[in-house]
Amino acid sequence: MAIVHQFSYARPSTVVEVLSLLALHGERATIMAGGTDVVVHLKEGRLVPECVIDVKDLAGFRRIAVSDDRLEIAAGVTFSDILCSPEVRDGFPLIAESAATVASTGIRNRATLAGNLCSAVPSLDCGPAVLVHDAHVHLASARGERNVSIHQWFTGPKQTARRPDELVVSVTVPRPQRRHAGCYVKLGRYRGEDLAQAGVAVMALEDKTYRVAFCALGPIPARAHTIEELLAGRELDEETLTRAKAAVDGEIAPISDIRASQAYRRHMAALMLERGLLEAARRLRGEPPAMALLGG
Amino acid sequence: MSDYRFIGAPVERLEGREKVSGAAQFVDDVEFGPNVHYAWVVESPHAHALIRGIDTSHAQGMPGVVAVFTGKDFAGLHFGLYMKDRFVLAADRVRFVGEQVAVVVARSPAAAQAAAAAVWVDYEPLPAVFDQMEALKDDGVRVHPELGNYEHVPWFFPKAGTNIAHWRKIRRGDAAQGFADADVVVDGVFTVPRYAHCAIEPHGAVALFDQSGRLTVWTASQSPHTQRNLFAETLAPLGLTHHDVRVITPYVGGGFGGKAGVTMEILAATLATKLRGKPVKLCWSREQEFYNTYQRLGLRSELRMGVKRDGAITALSHTLYWDAGAYVEYGANVVNAVGLSATGPYRIPHVVIDSLCIYTNLPPGGPYRGFGYSEFLFGLESMVDKASHAIGMDPVAFRRHNAIREGDVLAYGASMNPNGLLEAIDRVAEEIKWGEKEPPSSSTALVGKGFSLLWKAPAMPPNASSTAFLKFNEDGSINILISAMEIGQGVLTAMAQIAAEVLTVPPHKIRVETPDTDRNPYEWQTVASHITWSTGNAVRRAALDAREQIFAVAERALHIPQESLYLEDETLKCRTRPDFCLALRSFVISGIQTEDGTYRGGPIVGRGMFMPEYASAVSDPETGQGGHPNVHYTVGAAALTLEVDRQTGKMRVRKVVEALDAGKAINPRMVKAQIEGGLVQGLATVLYEDMRFDEHGRLANPNFTDYKIPTAMDIPDEIVPIIVEVPQPDGPFGARGIGEHPMLPAAPMVANALEDALGVRLTSMPLTAEKVALAVMEKEARHGQTA
Repeated sequence: MAIVHQFSYARPSTVVEVLSLLALHGERATIMAGGTDVVVHLKEGRLVPECVIDVKDLAGFRRIAVSDDRLEIAAGVTFSDILCSPEVRDGFPLIAESAATVASTGIRNRATLAGNLCSAVPSLDCGPAVLVHDAHVHLASARGERNVSIHQWFTGPKQTARRPDELVVSVTVPRPQRRHAGCYVKLGRYRGEDLAQAGVAVMALEDKTYRVAFCALGPIPARAHTIEELLAGRELDEETLTRAKAAVDGEIAPISDIRASQAYRRHMAALMLERGLLEAARRLRGEPPAMALLGG
Repeated sequence: MSDYRFIGAPVERLEGREKVSGAAQFVDDVEFGPNVHYAWVVESPHAHALIRGIDTSHAQGMPGVVAVFTGKDFAGLHFGLYMKDRFVLAADRVRFVGEQVAVVVARSPAAAQAAAAAVWVDYEPLPAVFDQMEALKDDGVRVHPELGNYEHVPWFFPKAGTNIAHWRKIRRGDAAQGFADADVVVDGVFTVPRYAHCAIEPHGAVALFDQSGRLTVWTASQSPHTQRNLFAETLAPLGLTHHDVRVITPYVGGGFGGKAGVTMEILAATLATKLRGKPVKLCWSREQEFYNTYQRLGLRSELRMGVKRDGAITALSHTLYWDAGAYVEYGANVVNAVGLSATGPYRIPHVVIDSLCIYTNLPPGGPYRGFGYSEFLFGLESMVDKASHAIGMDPVAFRRHNAIREGDVLAYGASMNPNGLLEAIDRVAEEIKWGEKEPPSSSTALVGKGFSLLWKAPAMPPNASSTAFLKFNEDGSINILISAMEIGQGVLTAMAQIAAEVLTVPPHKIRVETPDTDRNPYEWQTVASHITWSTGNAVRRAALDAREQIFAVAERALHIPQESLYLEDETLKCRTRPDFCLALRSFVISGIQTEDGTYRGGPIVGRGMFMPEYASAVSDPETGQGGHPNVHYTVGAAALTLEVDRQTGKMRVRKVVEALDAGKAINPRMVKAQIEGGLVQGLATVLYEDMRFDEHGRLANPNFTDYKIPTAMDIPDEIVPIIVEVPQPDGPFGARGIGEHPMLPAAPMVANALEDALGVRLTSMPLTAEKVALAVMEKEARHGQTA
């Protein structure tokens, strides 16, 4: 299948050039990093831009920086870059764990975390992980720079707070100030690469507080504050877990589609929360990660 | 056990290095220079509509466009393998979403695609039918009003004025009496969706009608000679004859039945006739690969089985309603084949089988590895478990008790061939530790075991044949010319081994390549798991022919009686003269020099042919009795150990065992690889593959995003292939085919294992984790338990 639509292609080496192209073309420009979504959309005719701006050559765009209080992932960093970084794996294992579930090795070699956040599909695997980490997205435009909290980032299915003339420059992931352990549980149809039919990221902190976020269970990836409040300060005993599971229905709005029915998504979301919480708590106690949390 | 040197040896695949290194050429790799033209089709957005008009004027004028063709340009050109119900381009009516209604030929793929989008088609949408049971109604949509006029093979029985393209009936014994004799009667209804082959290489074809009037077509195909035949038949109105048409098939990146017969290749061939001197290339996209080639047929099957308390099956009633799609030129034979064999490998005295081929407005159904047997075995082998439970008998003991044996009368009246079914059952039961419970790996998991038998006969015309030429070279090496296709199954290697065994020339000195119908002799098709048996026989006969020529020339030149001659290590030897030794390379081209300096003999060229002369498709249409439609059955048994999480429904195959009776495994390493690959493919159709159509008949998942095929992560923990060898009397060295068989038992053995583990019986494929979890929830709700 060929790309039929004609467009101009730019591959600038400086952010300034990108921003001036964005200022010129606005909504008629498409920013492309790995191209794993953009090229498919171009082929299928779902995207008909005037100009494709390839940001792969931007200086410093493959940089991963780790400091005492945060991880900074530049916009050109691929999921494979994240997985190959010992600093991410050791310091931000939940980010690495969710990155490892994105598509397949070949896709992860090209696809970027920033690009993924811009795609903003409801099934975004890295969404729950960045949500429980309270990440920030850093944007630049000819008008200046701006930071958007991840909690304000997702505005609808495939919709974000990015304005047409803005370029995502990086994503920062704060390091939680307490000892913690996380876990990302993903529901797929088989063990190979799949879009999440449901996903939940759980972070257990040593003060017995918990952070929970879902994906593929509503229009956008989102934190589950009611569940977090219900869990806060509690041991994960059977009663607490039962209450948490019962609260899941109120926190999600799953649909039925070709990948899973609403009934199965609801059923699995509760189970995934339960197993994710117990697994995160086990990891917090220093136990090694369990395999195949959902069986199979 | 035998004195074979090359038969039964794990010979390395002849073309393996070529493929691994990237040297192997596939149809899209063949270079046609700067003059190549690209075609792209205009597809119907409707599942059923009349075409009122097509305006190509805008598309004609677009940059790079060379020509635009519609059904009017190819009026009257219809085709089909067993029934001529297909059209090169839709003429007045479209019958499925994606059907080709026009074609653009342009100088680049993008130009062709852009212009195709600019072709304007005026449709009058018609009501469409997507469900075969709906299509059976008297007052509904008629997909082919002209059904009564279509040419078809004599063993099809279409019902004009309906959507029934073929109805295979088998009646044996007295079913009413059989059910009356039974102590227990069990019944069930099972459904199987459509499936896609998902060969990694999509279909592709390049055709060139040269200035001399020759039509050459390069295709990704399992059926070069059948394609030549259908191209010549279809294009006969244009004045083409068989000897004008040539098909060349390079390597094929997976077939699985999807590249059998003729589908999109007819378009390239026909377009070329309008564009003399211009190579026309048509390659399907992945999406088209899903919706405009053959799909596996969908099935609803209804079964009743009568059993005695002593374990004997007394009667079987098996009705199969096939969703065969918009065109059934090949798919109707799937329906026929299953009709003949829907008893499974069991001795059942009273049998009623009705197998109905039903038109719907979904893409054409056609051959898919297993040719309908996977589909009907899901229901049948589920029922076998149900019947055994009903009389309190162990399912494996029950199967063994009723297993078909050599000489038993088949449902259509012929007799069963020699087979190792009992050995297969026993070896599988032992290997899977049947009857032993195994502990699960987590508190929410359960472990079950499931068993299934399988059988399958090659489904082919009674006179399908194979031929082989065998040529010696100066150095004593050999070229074998056949038209069987290498589709990954290893035929090139197996044929080299057969010739090697007869002529004592090692396989690595034998070259076997993919065919060119001008040079290579006739082969029906590489389908039906019949190549090892049929082409193998032809190659063996060609080798024997060459050996006889060698012995004859030696007798003439050297006066050694032929009876005393034999071949060993690429030399000619004599039983009565131990000192005599003549290297093949010294005379297979140049002949043997006599005492007076003259020569005897010359190049040795063997010829072999095989056609089963005992087969017949002639039988009573109302009972199916009287013919010998199947040459033989390959049988087997399989079992698996399945762990399932009762909350999530997620399953893991901990171990799967399958024993097949290969008659004689020409290359046991490749037989085992077939078993492994087939099981993985079969398990995927059970656990997650599923074609889904929306309410307008549009395929919702023509992609690997939502049509899942297994990755390396999805293979069972352990696969144990077992080879049983009860020789096939008319097979080369006793061999019979096993290519399709490995995947056949996958669905029932998973369903049976799920019931063993969870006590729930699933009757609708695929058996996804979601279905399992929801079924368990429903069961627990019924029993008032908590999850």
